[in-house]
Amino acid sequence: MYKGTFAVLAVLGLWWAVAWGQSPTSTPKSILAGPLAHVDIKDAKVDAVRGTPRGTLNIGLHFGIDPGWFDPLGYYGPALHFYYLIHDALIKPMPQGEFTYSLAEHVEMTADFTKAAFRLRAGLKFQDGHPLTTADVKWTYENYRGYNVKLFQDKLERIEIVDARTIVFHFKGPFVDFLDLYSGAGSGIGWVLPRHYYEKVGKDGFKARPLGAGPFKFVSQEAGVQASFEAWDEYWRRAPGVRAINVRGIRDLAARMAGLQTGELDLAYGMTGKLLQKVMADPKLRWDPNFTAPWHLMFPGYNEPSSPFHDKRVRQAVSLAINRQFLVRQETHSVGKPWGNWISHENRDALCGDGTELPVPLHDPAKAKQLLAEAGYPNGFDFDWYVPFVPYFDMAERVLTDLRAVGIRSKVQMLDAPAYMAQTSKGRKGFPGNRTIVQRIDPRPGGAKALIRIYAVCGGPASYICEPQIEALWAKHEASIDLAERDRLSKEIQRLIVEEYYLVPLYLNPFVHAVTPKVLPEGDAVRHYWDTVNAPFPWPWEVWEVKG
Amino acid sequence: MATIPVGATYRTSVSRVARRSYRLVAEIPAIPLAMLAILAFAAVSAPVLAPHSKLDPVKPTPGQCQAKFGMADCPYVDNVPPFWARGGTMDTPLGTDFLGRDVLSRLMHGARISLVVALTGTLFAGAIGTLLGVLAGYLGKWWDQVIMRVTDAWLTLPSLVFAILLSSVRGPGLWNVVVILALVFWSRYSRAVRGEVLALRERDFVRLAEINGIGKLRIIWRHLIPNVMNTVMVLFSLQVGVAVIIEASLSFLGVGVPPPEPSWGLMMAQERDSLMEGKWWLAVLPGICITMLVLSANMLGDWLRVRLDPQLRNR
Amino acid sequence: MRRYILVRALYSLITLWLLVTIIFAMVRLTGDPVLMKAEPGADAVYLAELRRQWGLDRALYWQYASFLGNLLQGNFGHSFEKSLPVRDIYFERLPNSLKLGFAAFIISIVLGVPLGMLSALKVNTWWDNIGKMIALIGLSMPGFFVGMVLIIVFGVELGWLPVLGKGSTIFVWGAPSTWLPFWFRDWPHLIMPAFALGWYFSGAMLRITRSGMLDVMGSDYIKLVRLKGVPERMVVAKHALKNSMIPVLTFAGLNLLIMVNVAVVIEVIFNWPGVGQLLYDGLSNRDFPMVQGVVLMSGLMIVVLNFTIDVLYGYVDPRIRLAR
Repeated sequence: MYKGTFAVLAVLGLWWAVAWGQSPTSTPKSILAGPLAHVDIKDAKVDAVRGTPRGTLNIGLHFGIDPGWFDPLGYYGPALHFYYLIHDALIKPMPQGEFTYSLAEHVEMTADFTKAAFRLRAGLKFQDGHPLTTADVKWTYENYRGYNVKLFQDKLERIEIVDARTIVFHFKGPFVDFLDLYSGAGSGIGWVLPRHYYEKVGKDGFKARPLGAGPFKFVSQEAGVQASFEAWDEYWRRAPGVRAINVRGIRDLAARMAGLQTGELDLAYGMTGKLLQKVMADPKLRWDPNFTAPWHLMFPGYNEPSSPFHDKRVRQAVSLAINRQFLVRQETHSVGKPWGNWISHENRDALCGDGTELPVPLHDPAKAKQLLAEAGYPNGFDFDWYVPFVPYFDMAERVLTDLRAVGIRSKVQMLDAPAYMAQTSKGRKGFPGNRTIVQRIDPRPGGAKALIRIYAVCGGPASYICEPQIEALWAKHEASIDLAERDRLSKEIQRLIVEEYYLVPLYLNPFVHAVTPKVLPEGDAVRHYWDTVNAPFPWPWEVWEVKG
Repeated sequence: MATIPVGATYRTSVSRVARRSYRLVAEIPAIPLAMLAILAFAAVSAPVLAPHSKLDPVKPTPGQCQAKFGMADCPYVDNVPPFWARGGTMDTPLGTDFLGRDVLSRLMHGARISLVVALTGTLFAGAIGTLLGVLAGYLGKWWDQVIMRVTDAWLTLPSLVFAILLSSVRGPGLWNVVVILALVFWSRYSRAVRGEVLALRERDFVRLAEINGIGKLRIIWRHLIPNVMNTVMVLFSLQVGVAVIIEASLSFLGVGVPPPEPSWGLMMAQERDSLMEGKWWLAVLPGICITMLVLSANMLGDWLRVRLDPQLRNR
Repeated sequence: MRRYILVRALYSLITLWLLVTIIFAMVRLTGDPVLMKAEPGADAVYLAELRRQWGLDRALYWQYASFLGNLLQGNFGHSFEKSLPVRDIYFERLPNSLKLGFAAFIISIVLGVPLGMLSALKVNTWWDNIGKMIALIGLSMPGFFVGMVLIIVFGVELGWLPVLGKGSTIFVWGAPSTWLPFWFRDWPHLIMPAFALGWYFSGAMLRITRSGMLDVMGSDYIKLVRLKGVPERMVVAKHALKNSMIPVLTFAGLNLLIMVNVAVVIEVIFNWPGVGQLLYDGLSNRDFPMVQGVVLMSGLMIVVLNFTIDVLYGYVDPRIRLAR
């Protein structure tokens, strides 16, 4: 009786504390003076009642684990999977929206995009109990060495710490894309690291035993093989749903499938290709199509006159030769969608390639042959290599078979994943000849402009395109601080690229995840975890729940 | 020790070689010879006898399209089962793969790749290794030291790892695989040949030739190389099997002969996932082909070893 | 004898140095690891920073010198891909490889040696032929083929054996342990990879046992023992077996090292987290220090074993040490 009253009082007290802690968000005080830009940032969903973590979630990753991914100061890429586990960012993509408040509760940016201000939530802590302050945010920014570091350093004038919860970034000029890039998915710089711990253990120590402000605490790892994490009950948003998460790197698709069937895994990624049908047929497994981005073909060196792809008619013939409907059927059991743009519709300023904004490309081998003949190849031609994205080698042979049917012949260059990455990131130098087709996909969060910057403008890091018309539009885009105008210009560039066949889109790729019955909730509602915009992986992890 | 021992060739005449090779051929055991003959025949006749193209899908009948996809017309029908299973046809006796290509035709063309790559690769390795081994054994001194130390180091390098490493230097391609095999396996020959030459060097016929003022090159060419040929042939026949396995493993790991060329190792790698769906034949048939080839090479090698090594003749 | 040992030791050192040099040069021909690690869109500043961190910005001879210098201090450098010291990762993986290697070693001996003896004792009979066939088939099947067939039959169709890796970690008094659950629960994970690996080597074991036995059985020594009227069973069990086992054990030792260090294909197929997979990952990621480290360790083991064998043989057989 006495105990019961005490418990009720405690719960009431807790509820009051949570409610009180939340109240300041409703009346944000302005930090910056002058006119402010409109920023569309969604509120976080903070759970009023904190549950108890239960059970273990075993995840089968489709690549080996690199401990370097635990350290956001390093680089970026598949690492986001682990950032969402261990670390937390000021703002990051969540199911609520592409920009959602996380460690920050309030963000402002001046209308001329020269200042950005953040206010942190009250009472933030790292997993070791040490308070998280703006000093950590500043330290992380200054010590960041990863993706886009030069841009961040060049644009920054100074960082002003107003108090332990308020920080202002001053830029040398307008930095219109700042929030895009600073947001959790844009780079590693927004994920706040514990300065006291990092300086104590050093870079290697941190990779061996990372520590952050995220929902899961690092427990142990075997480099490259597996990593174990444990729920951190005091995570600000809610107590994680599962007690422990084990992530294992299993590159082999059949092994992941076997793991799902024997119950050694509860969630596995990349269940595509030949085994997708088996996943669909298995009554115990549930799966999510998880559309990431469209596959597309690139023509390195097409703009040199000696290249067969210099002629627009040849590139168009390539596009017409491909039977996308059948390709999608064979490769994805008709889950994928033939697509008319090379950027995913989930990217903010992208044109939708399903026929609404850009048409789905046609399949017409007769017309393709005719175009080839007009271009001077009545008997077709041989090109050097078809370079597929690793490990989608089957698809490469399917595409090559379609091309061979109209007389365009080649062989597949099977690279390993790092070699592919290296060659494609060298830009034009990566593929010395100009008789190569490279297959590409890039599920990159953020605006379409981020993809244009990399793949479509002169001197872009992985760009083979150098067209004066696009350059002019892009220069205008970069100079503008009018968001609506930037959107219009970005869309114009996308349309130009597709209509001139500089890039040939294939279909929107489903990157299928499968889960076992152990994962809650039962039924198809399991999909609701996975609707974070542009996310290839089903974060946030704190909402996952399993049986037992 | 004054007489020339039996079995040593003082001069190797053409008629003698012919007689010896006739004897060899007449005595070859039947089983491996038959297996090898089948594979070699398949390889040679593939362009003529293969029922379908190795690269293009088999044109399906409307009935097949209707049954598989519910469409009147389709580019190809994939995963047609072999003739003994339900739904198989004699047009594609071993079924079709994931791209609707005839498995039998691809296996026949695959025999070409495996045989050409393994034989030429081993041949080059044998040539390099024998030459270096003879030089090391006969010239001695610094030649010996340098060649043998490099050979030792080469032998400590695990062959498959070395092959993978070389393939990422050379890039994919059929002839690159040949080069890789030659570069990896020469050290096996040089070690054995050197030992042989060390013994031959002391023999009377070499001594005699030296006394008669015959040049070193000529001695190597006329006296040493013919006499180490037995050892080289035994090694060669045993190494061919290893070369086939290495070629298949490279293809399996994705660094061998580039698709769409039908290499057996590649066919297995591509159909690995089909195993889980119960279409075991797609991966197992090329595996059986590899095993047959290596098995017959090994059996021939064993037989040659016994045949050419007088000490082992009665075992 | 001292001179012989010294010369052998010198040869071993030269072999190791050549091995290290070859592998150092080879990995550097395979491409630029900095670009491989970079995402498209990575800045030149970031790439330069990585290059500096990994010591790839300096001249080749300087890299080589510092590499050798570090080696002498037992430091294999830092993995590019796994961002941790190569030595730590290697020794974390080595126990797994030892488990697999020893299990396969035992299988190869249990299969190979008795069959080899049988076929040597019954030369040119059916026993001999059957033994030879088992050996040859084992030698003729690529490891990945055996692995795949085992996975279909025992893993997928029959569902008797697990196919994935080496089992999971459990926590013993708060500390992660892979040893404890392994020996109590996860040992079935070992069966298929060990068998696939062991069969290949059992073929070779059978061959060498057979020819070793034949050599000994034909020797004057055994003839003498027989003349003395020792029963045939005793001849085989006591005299022949003992004498024919020396080359077999030497060979088996070398095989064990190979199985521990470079079971690449088997480890990849069964997702076994051993040294071989580490090497394969290192190769495909152009992780120079990792490849160098693993190849050097396997080379070191082989060279040390060969050296020991040479020295032992030198003791046993004076002709060998006087020959050179």
